Amino acid sequence: MKSFWTDRRWLCVLPLYAFTLVFVLGPVVYMVAVSFAQNEAGTGFRWAFTLENFAKMRDPVYVQCFRESFTLALSTTLLCSLIGYPFGYCMGRLGKRGKRLMMFLVMVPFWTSSLIRLYGWLILLQAKGVFNNLLIALGLINEPLKILYTYPAVLIGMVYGLLPFMILAVYTSVEKMDWTLIEAARDLGASRAKAFFTVTLRLTLPGLMSGIILTFVPSMGLFFIADLLGGNKIVLVGSLIQDQMTRGGNQPFAAALALILAAVTTVMLWAYRRLTGTAELEGML
Amino acid sequence: MKKKLLALLCAAATLLALSGCGAKNNSSKELVLYTWEEMFPQEVLDGFTQKTGIKIVYSNFDYDETMLEKLTQAKGGDYDVIIADDYIIEQAVQAGLVGELDKSIIDNYSNINPRYQGQFYDPEDKYTVPYGCGIPLIVYDPSVVDFEIKGYNDLWNPALKDSVAITANYRVINGITLLSMGKSMNEEDLDVIAKAGEKLIALAPNIRLIQDDNTQDALLNGEAKAAFLYTSQVTQVMSENPNLKVVYPEEGLGYGIMAAFVPVNAPNAKAANEFLRYLLEPEISKACMEYIGYVNTTGAADSIVDPSLVAPENAGTGEFIMNVSETANDAYNKNWIAFKAACGQ
Amino acid sequence: MKKKRLSFSEIYLALVTLITYLPIAVVIVFSFNDSKLPVAWKGFTLRWYERLFHDAALMEALRNSIVLGLVSCLFAAVIGTLGAIGMARVHFKSKGMMEYLSTMPIMLPEIILGMVFMAFFSMLKLPFGWPTLIIAHTSFCIPYVYLMVKARLVGIDKSIEEAARDLGASPSRAFFDITLPLILPAVSSGCVLSFAMSFDDVVISIFVNGPTLSTLPIKVYTQMRTGVTPEINALCTLILIAVILILSLSSFLRNRETSDDDK
Repeated sequence: MKSFWTDRRWLCVLPLYAFTLVFVLGPVVYMVAVSFAQNEAGTGFRWAFTLENFAKMRDPVYVQCFRESFTLALSTTLLCSLIGYPFGYCMGRLGKRGKRLMMFLVMVPFWTSSLIRLYGWLILLQAKGVFNNLLIALGLINEPLKILYTYPAVLIGMVYGLLPFMILAVYTSVEKMDWTLIEAARDLGASRAKAFFTVTLRLTLPGLMSGIILTFVPSMGLFFIADLLGGNKIVLVGSLIQDQMTRGGNQPFAAALALILAAVTTVMLWAYRRLTGTAELEGML
Repeated sequence: MKKKLLALLCAAATLLALSGCGAKNNSSKELVLYTWEEMFPQEVLDGFTQKTGIKIVYSNFDYDETMLEKLTQAKGGDYDVIIADDYIIEQAVQAGLVGELDKSIIDNYSNINPRYQGQFYDPEDKYTVPYGCGIPLIVYDPSVVDFEIKGYNDLWNPALKDSVAITANYRVINGITLLSMGKSMNEEDLDVIAKAGEKLIALAPNIRLIQDDNTQDALLNGEAKAAFLYTSQVTQVMSENPNLKVVYPEEGLGYGIMAAFVPVNAPNAKAANEFLRYLLEPEISKACMEYIGYVNTTGAADSIVDPSLVAPENAGTGEFIMNVSETANDAYNKNWIAFKAACGQ
Repeated sequence: MKKKRLSFSEIYLALVTLITYLPIAVVIVFSFNDSKLPVAWKGFTLRWYERLFHDAALMEALRNSIVLGLVSCLFAAVIGTLGAIGMARVHFKSKGMMEYLSTMPIMLPEIILGMVFMAFFSMLKLPFGWPTLIIAHTSFCIPYVYLMVKARLVGIDKSIEEAARDLGASPSRAFFDITLPLILPAVSSGCVLSFAMSFDDVVISIFVNGPTLSTLPIKVYTQMRTGVTPEINALCTLILIAVILILSLSSFLRNRETSDDDK
């Protein structure tokens, strides 16, 4: 029998194991521990077990933050699906050259700084910005529209930032789809709509689901879009955590908030796994 | 087994190397200055480097609390000179993060206007050199606001619906709400704070944006009709558009001093003290204040600085934002979050 | 009939793409504008580009970002590739859990990762700066390399390497001659993706950066709150051009490769 220790394959996984244990598991365990610690005035905390940090979250103010984040993430995901699914689908139906071109066009913004693209929206939407000037010049409006620092502006920014993930996820599964199945369905007399809903949608569902995860999870935690395009007026869990880590100086509370947020995310991922039976997210890479 | 141990040792060595490779070299030729963005004209920083050969690393924080957090985590090290607001300095002093000044180096300490000395955060003048003084004020555009704004209470006027920009310090905004109710900015009574919270929420419909930096731009780019601004922002916006109107709120003023201190474990404390000495030179003080637009605290520079930056007679009647008890602070925090959430509705 | 439907979908694709490029176009246009405020067109200028090359802080931030991206993607490439190869062969009980943990950094919202790292590093008393940034960035780069290589390994016939070993090749020889060339494309695309992620990361970097260090996204983030100078627009235009060149080149090369295969 080959001895375990003379075989070198375990050496291969050693760096991964070591790194993951020290720098992923370590911090996570530490965070869980801190979330049960007692906050102390100033910026420190004391190692004394308490559930206070979790109890604090029941305050309507914080419940509302979670609700607000959830609603925003949900609307972002919904809009991304509505825009991104047809996009990925249409892309998958293009010819070889078309696909390559579209892939290129989708990837370029992905590579430019997401902040700068947000800044582009800021320029477009502000009261004396490009969009309003255009509308005024066209005589469509007299007073500039108030778009920047509103909820729709935040939504635009979120959808804009996360759309590529949805598109790529859907596109990947459309690419892999066996088109002959649809032809078969059509030959058997299914209408185009029926063929779409019974065959195409079902076959591309993993892609759509993966896209939903890939947009929903990050949007629960994104806070700078709401800060920059929303004028700091929407309090999301993300900004709450950041506030508590920096301004409020209550680390245990921040840890507790993060723990709940992580729990929500984990439940989503678990549900995805159960529904699709795979661990990997389609089109993530 | 031996091999396993070896592998573990290797991993540990890699980690050590990893953490070691970034360690700073604490050469005395470098001074880490930690403060907000845009606090110094480049000439002033360059001048110091020319004079002493010490390179200044200009590092920024966005909020006082961020600074305290980072300084706490650095155990009073990493930074050589920090400039921040009065109330946070009191906290830093109490936490033992601030080192005593070396007045044998700062031999021009008497250049400071005594009016700004012996303050609550440093009653014995052991730790700080004031850098500038600020009074946040209301500025509005009379061409689009058809009534006269006299004080904080006017910000609640329904005519200003969705057109007020305010700064983002939770204590200051809570504070002016309390002032508008005739209370102290440092109220400890939780019932009164809760009332202020309710009053703040009533302000929400008028709020266009909440932002600490470049808040004054909202008045220039048409996003807001009235704004509650820091002194520097007031100076800046008035120079861009002199037709705007500045209001000294009738309910009372908030008063703040930004001061410089040397952290207790500053890597380069000697250079830090030399830098503070340099800041107190009248010419340098003048250049700095005219750049940031704050009220000048270096008395020796009063005669040469722009007269609008010398404290007016009635200054000093304002109130400092001071540290309050943890429960009161918690309540202020909650007011603030509820207020922001209400603004987004 | 078919053609007509396709043209509808083409219109849709074009429209959405156009909107996607709108903000980018605006940023580019204003990089040539002769005014500090991005409000109205005041005339053509190149001075922001000129200033950009003299802005030491911005150039340093750019350099930091590139170094950080390269170093973390190098670490991630080594750890991730070895890990994926090893994981495919070992049968530890902890394997499933470990796989979940090691890919967790890209499954969690960034803010959690950021704050957790900040708290953890300060507990370990690691100096905030290069070490913390590199560790944090490596942690979220590993999953990209790992998953890419893993997916590629599934497609590789294990018997090839075994055949090589049967023919007398040493394990390392078999690895370097057979396995590595086969997974190299996956490693490189994993690296490219990690670099892109690292180069664009704001949230995590904000939490773990040190007093004297600034990356490009952090610089942009602070400027976005204190007023962006058109130099940033200029820098982004240049980065965009670089990206387009690199992407075109790589797609051109891939194109040639595949058409060679077709022959």
